[in-house]
Amino acid sequence: MEPQLSWYLALSAILFTIGVTGVIIKRNVIAMFMCIELMLNAVNLTFVAFASFFQDVTGQLFVFIVMTVAAAEAAVGLGIIIAIFRNRESLDVDDASILKL
Amino acid sequence: MLALLFILFAGLAIGCGLAVVAQRNPLYSAISLIGVFISLACLYVMLAAPFIAAVQVIVYAGAIMVLVVFVIMLLNVEQEERGRPRLKFLVPTAVALSAILIAEVAFILVTVQEFRVNPTSAPSNVGLTHSIGTQLFTRYLLPFEITSILLLMAIVGAMTLARRGGMLSPNARVVPGAQVLPLSMVDPNAEPDDLRPVEADTSEEAARTLGITDFRNQSKRD
Repeated sequence: MEPQLSWYLALSAILFTIGVTGVIIKRNVIAMFMCIELMLNAVNLTFVAFASFFQDVTGQLFVFIVMTVAAAEAAVGLGIIIAIFRNRESLDVDDASILKL
Repeated sequence: MLALLFILFAGLAIGCGLAVVAQRNPLYSAISLIGVFISLACLYVMLAAPFIAAVQVIVYAGAIMVLVVFVIMLLNVEQEERGRPRLKFLVPTAVALSAILIAEVAFILVTVQEFRVNPTSAPSNVGLTHSIGTQLFTRYLLPFEITSILLLMAIVGAMTLARRGGMLSPNARVVPGAQVLPLSMVDPNAEPDDLRPVEADTSEEAARTLGITDFRNQSKRD
């Protein structure tokens, strides 16, 4: 039996939900950041699945660009995390409830 | 056979994803996340997208996660301490919202079944590097260039955010007797070969001795 398109979509939905749950539950900034990466990957899986089943290369180009955005987000986000840690000596999001550094 | 592989990799991805959320140590979360990335790369190979699979392993599991692990180790993150006061209803809320999200997606997947994808058995070149490169540099050239600008902005932003103030940090202190420099290196007007050491306990005292008046202003200007 071949894997159907809906299987991939269901897996993507599950991974995305795990990511959402992590972002809500976690209190460490780096852990929240990794959950966001998980959500991005879930969406990437959807793109690749549609591209493969529709025989269209556009979805894979989207994945390529999403990966670039994720890399940029990683660089800037980790820079922000380092700046927060330097000012507050903590990575707890509850300690960083004021946006002022 | 393919279904078995799908179940294997999907189970691996879900298990590692749950571990990302469940682990308390961020380093273990990061390693679990690498597991998710690798199993997703295997799924991409099953979906006939070898280029995306390779980029997934190189960029995500390689570059981004190395950056994350580096930051975790640099900041020396300890385990989240248990029992700190935190909103009590947060975990039930998260679980309820996740259940709603899953229910919505399941509803869509169950009801929208009119579209039937007829699997083409003919070999296609959709996922290959050649077709991706052709499309990327012809039809999607503008997004590609915009992406390069985005990366430039990310580089500048990361450097601006992560650097420590100006050239001389406010926390920088002169260690007495740490090093002896010729005065001509510091002050171009001094006579050469003056190796008389400057005795100072603080940065301000050293600046006064050397006759530099505005080093604080210089550091603040940046």
